[in-house]
Amino acid sequence: MFKEDLKHNMAAVIEFKDITRTYRLGDEVLNALDNVSCTVQSGEFVAITGPSGSGKSTLANIIGGLDKPTSGTVVVDGQDLSHVRDRQLSDYRNRHIGFVFQSFNLQGTQTALENVMLPLLFARMKPGERKARAKECLEAVGLGDRLKHKPSQLSGGQRQRVAIARALAVKPSIILADEPTGNLDSERGAEILKLLKDLNKQGITLVVITHDMSIARQADRVIQIKDGKIA
Amino acid sequence: MRFADYVTLALRNIMRSKLRSSLTIFAVVIGATSITIMLAAVFSLKGFMTKQFEANGTFQQIMVSPQTDINWGDYSGNQCQDCVKLTDSLAAKLGQLQHVVGVARQTQVGQFQALTYGTQKLRTQEISAYDANGIITTQVLAGRDISASDKTGVLTISSDYADKLGFKHNYQALIGKQVGLMTQGWYSGVGSDPIQASKNQQAFFSSHPGANGQDYQPAPTTLTGKIVGVTSTTDRSYAIRVPLDWARGMEENQMAVVTQADQDAAQAKCRQQHTPQGCNTQPVASAVQVSDELAKQGYNSYIVKVDQSSNAAAVAKTIRNTYKIGAADAQTEIKQQLAIFNILGLVLGGIGGIALVVAAVGVVNTMIMSILERTREIGVMRAVGARRGTVSALYTFEAGLLGFFGGIIGLLVGYGVVLAANPIINKQLSSNSITGSNIITLPIWLIVGVVSLTTIIGILAGLYPARRAAHLDPVEALHYE
Repeated sequence: MFKEDLKHNMAAVIEFKDITRTYRLGDEVLNALDNVSCTVQSGEFVAITGPSGSGKSTLANIIGGLDKPTSGTVVVDGQDLSHVRDRQLSDYRNRHIGFVFQSFNLQGTQTALENVMLPLLFARMKPGERKARAKECLEAVGLGDRLKHKPSQLSGGQRQRVAIARALAVKPSIILADEPTGNLDSERGAEILKLLKDLNKQGITLVVITHDMSIARQADRVIQIKDGKIA
Repeated sequence: MRFADYVTLALRNIMRSKLRSSLTIFAVVIGATSITIMLAAVFSLKGFMTKQFEANGTFQQIMVSPQTDINWGDYSGNQCQDCVKLTDSLAAKLGQLQHVVGVARQTQVGQFQALTYGTQKLRTQEISAYDANGIITTQVLAGRDISASDKTGVLTISSDYADKLGFKHNYQALIGKQVGLMTQGWYSGVGSDPIQASKNQQAFFSSHPGANGQDYQPAPTTLTGKIVGVTSTTDRSYAIRVPLDWARGMEENQMAVVTQADQDAAQAKCRQQHTPQGCNTQPVASAVQVSDELAKQGYNSYIVKVDQSSNAAAVAKTIRNTYKIGAADAQTEIKQQLAIFNILGLVLGGIGGIALVVAAVGVVNTMIMSILERTREIGVMRAVGARRGTVSALYTFEAGLLGFFGGIIGLLVGYGVVLAANPIINKQLSSNSITGSNIITLPIWLIVGVVSLTTIIGILAGLYPARRAAHLDPVEALHYE
């Protein structure tokens, strides 16, 4: 059902060129990413793997527009993200990226519907349309009967489905999932991965950060990071 | 984000920790309530007094005195020997000035020791008298005021005298009663007997050889008068008013005069006695000479009434400059005195303001705490596309809303206090015979001002926490535990 919606986003391409991201820890300078260059094609399913502290989360954060490189250029959808201001970067996250987190990051006091409506709030969508779209997304992840439930009333798998519905709400070109199955048992994990893969088949570029090789094996391509470099 | 969404989200956030929000709002309420009550009381009283003065024509009045430094608040000027005298003809001249509608001449008689009724002898201040031409008005609680047709033998007393005489709550019973005005011994005005006084003095000194002047205390005179009215104490307490004609008589100086015939009679008596040491028989005065002291000394003051209160200051100036006498219009004076209310308002408002500053610190604290609690949530908002400005505006709005609610509740509480206070004040007013009810009001400017003030204070208090929220690093916020 999202195929038609996403047609205009089919040209989405992520291009990294000589990306370096350094952190300062006291006097120590840490190279989280060291001169990384790579490309993700539109509609691709890419897994980014690597051990803890390898820099794979930093890479994901830069793709997601949550972080900016110290040097180098990131171009997504023809938009250079390395030099934009907060306002443009926020709008970019809002329109192009759907985040799925390991710990779901749902608003505990709000219903599933309200959680999914949150990104639409910042897209300045009208309240009526907002509700309709959120409902549509929750139905798409199989939670059409859980609209008024709060996260505490949902199982882990259901919570992650709400998070995926939230990621879908603004019709993103890229879904960025950081260890999406990390907090789930293997059965629920498999279901979530299947859902993500289905969305990918409908044309959404899927970037999954994981250290689970069984997930990485299902990806079109694996980018392995070690010590801030592509291995 | 749409404005309505800011309202919804901010309200939801406030409702989330009800106790903390209520306590924060409570602090704002205290400040808002105290500001509301204090300013309402101060400015309502000022307005009420101004209105009273306008209604009873005080603002159209100018007080004129021989001394050039008269203030309106002074009850009266004093007589003044080397000053321009306030004579009848000067009063007539002032009456001719443009905008002047009338002049009331005033004098005070200070030669009395007591107001007597039965066995009671009450202390007296000066007895006042002025033209009964409607320029000076007094509130009459029973009977009537002195009228232009009254000449002598009638008086009005203020209600505090009536209370002391035992007529509290029953002033009407006092009307028509005779009271005495006991003079000082040397009184020589109307009702005194100068010939008898002179005889008494002679008799004293002939029976007390070697006595000096200070040893002789002449007997007081008691004038009798009928009470025609009981007046309110609002304008002046322990007031006795008599008709101007009677006061003129009281101020007269009546002297026993030794005529040629009296001297001849004394000498004839001397010759009959053939006293070798010489004749020591004093002549006995048989004639009386009356001196109109009021005409000689002039009146203590005039009250000049002008057609409109807006002309009072200019007419007063004309009188000062033309006649070299003192003239003070009530308006300028009273408005200056009422300006004290503005200062009082500032001071009391400032106390409420301090409460609001404390409340603002509470708002800052609450917002910092709740932002700390919602760090992860802010991270999610940022991840799904909230701009820094949006986050900042949301929390500033929330803080402003805390202030807004505090202001509204504070106003309601203040209104409740006003509703409760007015009946008490009404009771006080009526027991003091002042017309006026529900005098404390909440003017629109105060309502709008208090809510705006608390809202602005809330917004200002929210600026720093909101800035902190907006500048959280989204990556760190998302992983905040």
